[in-house]
This record gives sequence, structure tokens and C-alpha cells, in this order.
Amino acid sequence: MTVAAEFGVLDRTPKELRAQGDARHLSLNEAEWTAIQTHFRALKREPTLAEVETLAQTWSEHCKHKTFTSPIRLTEGKKTRLIKNLFQETIVAATEAARKPWCLSVFEDNAGVVAFGKDWALAFKAETHNHPSALEPYGGAETGVGGVIRDVLGCGLGAKPVLGTDAFCFGRPDYAGALPEGAHHPRRTLRGVVSGVRDYGNRMGIPTAGGGIWFDDDYRLNPLVFVGTVGLLPRWAVKKEVKPGDLIVAAGGRTGRDGLHGATFSSANLAENAPTSAVQIGHAIAEKRLLDALLRARDRRLYRSVTDCGAGGFSSAIGELGAKCGARVRLEAAPLKVAGLAGWEIWLSESQERMVLAVPPKNLKALEAVFAAEGCETAVLGEFTSTGRLVVAHGAESVVDLDMKFLHKGLPKVERAASWTPPPTAKPAGGAAKPPAQILREMLAHPNVCSREWVIRQYDHEVQGGTVIKPLQGVRHDGPGDACVIWPHAAVGDDSDFSAFAVAHGLNPDYGRLDPYWMAMACVDEALRNLTCVGADPARAALLDNFCWASPDDPKQLGALVRAAEGCRDAAKGFGAPFISGKDSLYNQSKDEKGRELPIPGTVLISALAPVPDARRAVTMDFKGPGNALYLVGRTNDELGGSLCHRVLGRCGGEVPKASPACALDGFKAVHAAMLKGLVLSAHDLSEGGLAVAAAEMGFSGEFGARLDLDEVARDPRIYSDETLLFSETPGRLLVEVKPESEGAFLRHFGRGAKAAPVRRVGQTTANPILKVVGLAGNTVLEESLRALKDAWQATLPGMLK
Amino acid sequence: MSARPMPMATHLIEVRLRPEFSDAEGASALQLLQAEGLSSLKEARVSRLYRIQGPITATQVQQAARDLLCDPITQEHRVVVPVPAPLNGMNFWRVEVWLKPSVHDPVGDTIVSAIADMGLPRPEAARCALVYRLSGRAAKPALERAVARALANPLIHDAVVSEAHP
Amino acid sequence: MKSPKVLILRAPGTNCELETAAAFRAVGGAPELVHIAELRAGKKRLMDYAILAVPGGFSYGDDVGAGRVLANQIRHALTDLRQFVRLGRPVIGICNGFQALVKAGILPHSNACDQSASFTFNDSGRFEARWVHLRLNTQSSCLFFKGLPEMIELPVAHGEGKLVLRSPRQLEDLKKNKSIALQYVTEDGKLMGYPHNPNGSIFNIAGLTNPEGNVLGLMPHPERFVEIHQHPNWTRQTYRKQAVGLEMFKNAVAAAR
Repeated sequence: MTVAAEFGVLDRTPKELRAQGDARHLSLNEAEWTAIQTHFRALKREPTLAEVETLAQTWSEHCKHKTFTSPIRLTEGKKTRLIKNLFQETIVAATEAARKPWCLSVFEDNAGVVAFGKDWALAFKAETHNHPSALEPYGGAETGVGGVIRDVLGCGLGAKPVLGTDAFCFGRPDYAGALPEGAHHPRRTLRGVVSGVRDYGNRMGIPTAGGGIWFDDDYRLNPLVFVGTVGLLPRWAVKKEVKPGDLIVAAGGRTGRDGLHGATFSSANLAENAPTSAVQIGHAIAEKRLLDALLRARDRRLYRSVTDCGAGGFSSAIGELGAKCGARVRLEAAPLKVAGLAGWEIWLSESQERMVLAVPPKNLKALEAVFAAEGCETAVLGEFTSTGRLVVAHGAESVVDLDMKFLHKGLPKVERAASWTPPPTAKPAGGAAKPPAQILREMLAHPNVCSREWVIRQYDHEVQGGTVIKPLQGVRHDGPGDACVIWPHAAVGDDSDFSAFAVAHGLNPDYGRLDPYWMAMACVDEALRNLTCVGADPARAALLDNFCWASPDDPKQLGALVRAAEGCRDAAKGFGAPFISGKDSLYNQSKDEKGRELPIPGTVLISALAPVPDARRAVTMDFKGPGNALYLVGRTNDELGGSLCHRVLGRCGGEVPKASPACALDGFKAVHAAMLKGLVLSAHDLSEGGLAVAAAEMGFSGEFGARLDLDEVARDPRIYSDETLLFSETPGRLLVEVKPESEGAFLRHFGRGAKAAPVRRVGQTTANPILKVVGLAGNTVLEESLRALKDAWQATLPGMLK
Repeated sequence: MSARPMPMATHLIEVRLRPEFSDAEGASALQLLQAEGLSSLKEARVSRLYRIQGPITATQVQQAARDLLCDPITQEHRVVVPVPAPLNGMNFWRVEVWLKPSVHDPVGDTIVSAIADMGLPRPEAARCALVYRLSGRAAKPALERAVARALANPLIHDAVVSEAHP
Repeated sequence: MKSPKVLILRAPGTNCELETAAAFRAVGGAPELVHIAELRAGKKRLMDYAILAVPGGFSYGDDVGAGRVLANQIRHALTDLRQFVRLGRPVIGICNGFQALVKAGILPHSNACDQSASFTFNDSGRFEARWVHLRLNTQSSCLFFKGLPEMIELPVAHGEGKLVLRSPRQLEDLKKNKSIALQYVTEDGKLMGYPHNPNGSIFNIAGLTNPEGNVLGLMPHPERFVEIHQHPNWTRQTYRKQAVGLEMFKNAVAAAR
């Protein structure tokens, strides 16, 4: 057997190694190169190119999350402490503390898995596809959606995707400033990304019914594209295992030269010389065939394990599946798009729509028949072994011969420095005062609040027939819902069982500019209160974390990231909501037109999933009739720091909104219990824009008015300003509509005492579609036509995309 | 692998929406180009250009065009033969947007299988381009710049702008 | 009572087959998902079934026009479809299935072989998912509509739903033959443009039937309204409490019994 092209490491200095690696986009640091060198010096041979590439892929930020698992020395003021493993000490610690028996698989598979009734489970995963989407918005979003769908297909023995949910952060579509050469305008990015999600999701037949968009010009060079999928699988299919002797079977698309270097590329600063082969467009129908074939083979129990080919292609997929035993691979058996690929190219290609299965030899014929019937190609690439080695050959050429232990455990831990200086709390300052009505109008028309109908209508959000609570709600089906509720009756095959689930998100980088800790807390709170609003059980929520950050090599950025992770931990502990999976995307910064680094604001997306015990008890956010009581759940504090009101006024400083999980959860649980009894007509969460925006949205969606009395709001006694009560963004608050005859029964669900969530009747709905607010002094603070407010809310996005 | 080389040919078929039908795709493209400053463009029509390669004859490709690629009600098709660019005062333009050869073309895959399923020889490869037929005055460099910003991404597309017959 | 066997046709990219099967099952049908390759290979026979449903999706990616490749496949693999129709057995094509039936020449006249109508991109230039108001043609003999109110609501979700005809005279033929099964209308029954007519279809046509009334093709998705909680306003309780989609499937099963 001959040996494939070598990659000289034995007699190089660390600096030379790094330079040599960077030239091939390998994204390994000097310590990692030294570890590779030491390993091969002991073996007395040079590594092959494919071995070095395999190590770089497996050790990449994308695959190993090395920042999150490395030791971090954090300096806070004069104090310094060592965090041994940020991921273990925050996200995992919170989940372990919660000890929920309904968590069936956390942090180990391609997605987190929770129980859904007695016989079923839900797999949930969200990831990002930021860099590819920056370069090619349509293809980047498409392949991002395709990738996260395969994550769920490759979770357990395969889950059927039943919901797509996608959140984006973009520069404003009306951005008028300069852009560096080659960067897409945010308007084009938005159009392309939405089209990509639409074309892939719709073709796959997965309802895209959740998500959100945040606009901030600091995302103009580094847009964030979060793609999420929920899959349904039988309980028996949650566990997977690989046994030595199982065949390695590749299924789906063919392997080509496309998509080389995606994984390492996602760890690198978005450089102008990004490898163009990392940019691909998707082939949804190839993936649909794969889905159809895989689930049929699953139900006949023809394979023992499965995973998707994502970043790193076969190298990651087979490396992962065989991590505990070993694998022998013959690359010449892989079906190719074009002839003449080198062994290392086949091994590392990231061609889309491929998966790898572990198949007992006796099942091979049956499995091949199932896939062939769906027009989906399969090939036997080798077998899993008990040698503990990853051995890859291409014809007579030895391509890789690596110790699995070194591959998966050999990554050296490098201590990183982080620093955190709490921002001084400044009194709100700057900007000009405006009348409350004008502030409200501008907030509703603001890109971060305005109607998303232009986007949502392009997604087939009702395919599979289970979207019982839709993203757009109200009389005219155009109001902003808090979350969608999915009743997966067609996939379950039982339309007498009304068990459903809801998915919601929380995201607010403006809070993070003041304090990432409180941003993370607020995001968890927001996701849970959105779930509560539609009738999901807030005590049964499972969370995903997605961190998107600039370079962690900058101690300040890393310090902020640590703060955010600690916020996630404390929120998860406080709400008793475990994290079940997550992902991070770092180095989201690029050089702007003047050559300065433009980092994104540190961003956490929290995605939450919870069961809706009975879909027929679900609730929408639109007012249902006149003369109903309006209750505000939760206390209002003077927390306008990072608020939309401040953004609209051009004001800085102020207190960042601070969640208090125990009290908030108490309120959410009470509202949920009342919903189960059918006592709640509508509910809406208070987030960007506070009480005023929530009441306006409920009003114009239901086409009824409201009269609110600010003096009735449960509040910090130091608040004397109507504006604060209207626009403060204190988390943990919901506005709830209750029939007059149900008020007593509704209130009985709320506790008393210092730790209980306050609930106060702050007004009532009216027949006339006008929002009227009476201030603390008894004067009318605001009296606005809801029709006019709705017009302002609806005009923004279509106007900016003309 | 066959021992004898198979007769290979390359065919270009353009499929257009008949002029009596309004073109929603074209209208969107026109809007995007106008937003890039080409305000004197008056109309855009979008057609599809298929490049089919393999052991398939011109007659067989005609059959595939008629029975597969072209809709008998809304579309018409023609075999594309390169013609020298006419001088028409920069009033008519043709923009072809192809995926670069290094980028996989899923539409091409569908066409290869569908042609084979019709009982015709299976093509080696097929690719599909979008063709924008524009009318209205424009300077070529400005048009090329607008195309790169609105209709094609130079990272994955090859866009060819040329003067055209009306 | 016997359960009529329903052939739910699958092809690469079909994606509404499970909910369509669920709808038939709910009304006493015995649905079976059959891949078009199985019919092509002769492993399954259309004539063994009482009902044919061609569900929605993006067959073959809709890569050369919605339903175009599937229509070709139907011509090749379902050679007995015209006989099936002549025997009066119910056939329903939903969304992509409707597009394929039209392009295969089964609608609006199942005894003519040539395609006489087609679909093109929505006037808005975008895929759109929304609920629409529809008026049923009470004059038509469409067996799927028995007992249904004239005014109904269903969701649409498509990008190429604009129905076009070969000639204006053809519209008169369609009217004369009572082939126009469904039209997009406003809440109070008027023919209006966008967004009430979500795609710009000629004469607001949302669905066609053959003169005999046993073949129905429609862009809206009746299988997405088989339970009242699928209606967008079920929480408001201000709509007619009848899942009209379910009734269509019920009628098909009743006709096949």
C-alpha cells in the first residue's frame, strides 16, 4: 500500500507550522500544531495531508467548541478566577441541577431530545450558518436549513422534522452607509436568506412557523442566520449504538469537490480570501428523498446508528460514529459527482444531503432496497471495527491511519484570558423628548417590532396540517403571535390525541450592550413568556442556547461571553428549564470599508420548546371582545436601559431590564393553569416597547380597543413617570384578557406574598378600536386610533424592501 | 465504461414565457435593477436556458424541449445559436446567469433524470441558467455592476451581459 | 361498511401525503401511500384502488415548472388513469397534484389528451401561504362538494398558482361545462384582485372539475382543514364551525362505497 501525499510537520517550528496551515485554511493554533507534531514524532512518520485535515476539522471550533470547553482566566476588576470548562460549569451544570426525567438525551446527540407523551419524543436543534450566508445569502441559508434538518434526521435513529424555526440578525434594509468591496447590502442579504429558507423549507414540506428578525447595522457585514428544526421520533428510536462489524453505509447525494473547508472556515475570521468552494446551494429534493428513505428504513429497524454529514463530511461523520470502536473506510466506493477526486477530497468534502449509517450486514440488502425505492443512492464505504483506529484507504493508497483517542481527546486545552468590567450605571441621557403617542407610533414602525408578514407569508407554515396556532393571528390573520403551536397529528397518526407543542425564542442584543448577563436572563424569560402566552407549559420548557460572538481572542469579548453563559446558567436554574442542546459561532467580525474591525454585538438566541397539553386550550394574542378585563401579570420597574423607547429617542444609559426568574415563573404558571381551565381569552408578552406596544398589538389584531389606567400597574413605588410605565421592558410580564364572569376564577390561580407574581386589573377592552391610556395624574396620556397604529406597523418592511 | 467513445454533443435550449403572459419574475428583476440605479430600463422578461450535454441528438433534444422543458400553453422554446451582437443603440440587453462550474446545479440533476425517464438517452450533464431579456437604455458597465449587485453573486455565478436583438 | 382503498400518489418531493392520508382515514377510507416508481414498475396497479389522490408538494423540485415532471410521469406510469376516470372513480389533485393533473391533460377535460390550461408564477412574484375565501360552483356536478355551503375558507400555499388558459374562448367553454369548481372571492363573495385572489388566476379560478364531476383539482388545501382547530380564527369562535375540508374527503369516500 502506498501512502498519500504527506504534510511535513516533524521538523518545523510552531510558527512555520501555523503559516503552512493557514495557507490551507486549516485554522489550527500553534499549541494544536505542537500536539500534532509530538504525536507524529512518536510515530516516527509524517502525517498525510488527509490526517492533518481530519484533525483540523475535528478540532475546529465548529466541531469541538474549544473556546467554550477551554480553561478561561477571568479578571473582574481586581479579582481573578479560573473557569475550568465554561460549558460544563454553566450550560451543563444548569441542566444537571434541573434533573428532569423528561430529558431523554442532552448534549450528546445531534439534537437534544425530550419526551412527548408516553410513546413519542421531540428532537430540537438550532444552529447558525452565518459566514456562508454572508457570502451567498440564498445558498448559505438553504444549506443551513438543510444541515439542521439533517441534524434532526440524524438524531437518535432519525426524527421526522415537524417544524422549522429561523431567526435572523441583519443590518437595516435601509442602511445608507458605505460597505466594503464584496459585501452584500443588508437588503440583499435579507431577501436572499428569506428566499433560501423558503425554498428549502417549503420543498422539504416542513412548516416554517417560528422565528424572528432583529435589525442592527452592526450586523451588516456579519449577518446571523439561526436555523432550527423540531423532529418527532418514537421513544424506542432515541438511543443509537454502533457495533464492530456494522457496515458503514453512505446515503443521499454524491460527493463532489464542493464544500471543501466549511468547518475550519466557520472558525476563521471572515477573510476576503474565503474559499469559494465552501459556498454551495442546496438540493432540497435530494434531501427529501433521503428523509423518505431513512424514516422507512428506521421503522423497519434496518440500521443501528446514523449521523449526518455536516462540517467535515465523511471525516466527521465516520469519525464520530466510530469514536468508541474504530472504523475502516474504502473511499473508492463513494459515488462521486465528477471523476478524479483525490482521497483526501472525498474524505473531507462537505457536499450536501449526505448521511452515514451503521448497518448490520444481514440488513444490507433490505436497506438498499428501501433506499433504491425512493431513488436515493447508497454505498458501502467500509465497516466499523474494534481496533480503536480510524483507517482510511483510497484504492491502494493509505489516506488516514489515526488513533481515535488522539483524534477525539488529543486537542490541547489552551488557557484563555478574559476580562469583564461592569459598565457604570448611567442616568438616562441624550435625545429629545417626544409625546408618548409619537413614541408608540415610532416603536410600532421600528424594524425590530414591525410586521413580519412579508417574510412569514413566503413560508409554507401550515404544511403537515398541524399548525393550530399560527405565527400570524387575529381577525385578519396578520397580528404578531408570540409562538406557534404544532399538533403533529399526521406524523403521529392519531387525530384523537390533541397533545401539541410550542416553540418560541428570546433575543435582545441591545441589553447585551449594557450587560450580557442580564441579556441572557431576559432572553430565557422572553422565550418562556412567549410559550406561556400560547398555552404551553412553562414548567416543562427545554432550552437551546446559540451564542454568536466576535473574536474570543479579545479578552473583553471573551469576558462578555462568560457573562452571557453565566446568565444562561442562572436563568435555567431559576426557571428550572434545562438546556438540551446548543451551538456557538465565534469570530463574527469583519473589516469594514475603512479597514477597521466591525464586531457584531454579542448575541444569544434562546429557543424554547414546551408541550401544550391540549391544543384545543391554546390561546392567541388578539383581543376577543369588548368589555373584558385586562390583567397585567408581573411588576414593572424603571428599566429602560437598552429599550426600544431609548433607541427611538436616541437616549443612552439607564437600568438594563433584570429578570427575576422565581417571581416570573410563578406568574407564568398561574396564567398557564388558568388557560387550562379556559379562563384566558388572549395573552401577549411585554417585550420591546413594553406595555404600550403589547396593548396596541392585541388591540389592532383583534379590532377592539382598550382603556388602560397606569395607576393600577403593579410597580416599583419610585416610578412617577407615565412614560416609564408605558415603555419599560421589565421581563416577566404578560397582558391577559379575561371575561368579567371569569375574573374571580382567574385570580384564584395567583399566589400571594412577597415572592408571588403580582396580578392587577389595569383596564378593559372596548368596542371602539382606540387605545386610551390614563396616566398617574388621572389625565389622558395617549389616545390613538388602532387602525392608524396598525398601518404604521405594517408599512415598514414592505416599504424598506421596495 | 464503454470502450468506444460515445458521440457527445452540447445543446442550448432557451424556454421563454410567451409574450402574451405577464412575467412576475421579470417584474421583480426589473424592480431590483431599477433600485440599483438603472431607472431607464423599461422591461425585463425572464427565460430559462438549458445546456444539455451527452450522447443525445438534436431531434431528441427537441423532443425533450417540447415534452419536458417547455409548457405548451405558457411557453415557447428555441435552439440557441450564437449570433453576432447587433448594434441597437444599447436598447436591448441579454443577461445570462449561470452557476459556476464548481457549484452543483440541482435543476440539472432533475433534467438529466427526467430526460432519461422519457426513454431518451441519458445526458451526461445538464445545467440551467436564468436569462434576463431587458429593454431600455443602459450603459454596459453600469448594467454589469447592477447585475452583480442584484441578480447574480460573482462568488457562485458567471453572468454574461450582451447586447441583444429585441 | 367497507373502506374504499385510496391511492395516495407519491413522487420525489411530494410532501402533503401524510395529512392527506390522515384525512381519508378519518372519514373511513383506507389510504395507501404509493410511490410512482411502484406503479411504473407494475408492482402496484391503479385499477386496484377506488380513489386516487395526488397530494401537494414540490414534485421533482418543480424544477422545470410546477408539476411538469410529475405530469410526464403520470402520462407514462398511470396509463390507465383515463379509464379510472371514465369509470367514475373519484380523483383529487391538491395544489401540486392539481398542477400535475392539468399538465397531464386530465383537467379540465379528462377525455382530451392535450394539455389545455397551465400555471405560471403568482402575480406577486412570491410564494404565498394564506387562508382564502372561496365560492363553490353550486351548478357543478362535482361529487366532492355535496352538502357543502357555497362559501368556504381554505388555506393556499404556492408560488405558481396562477391558472392560465390557451385562449379566452376556453373560459367560455369552462363556464358552459361547469368546470369551474372554485373561485377566490372576498368574504362577501365578490370577485376581487390581490390579495383575495392570491395569484392572479384567470376569472379567480381556484379549482377545476371535469364535466362528469368525479375529478377535482384545486390549489387550496382541504387536507389542512379537517378539524376546526386548524382554522386561523378558531380561538375567536366567530367562524362557521365546520371543517369543510373533511367534508370533501367524506364525499369522495361515500361516492366510492
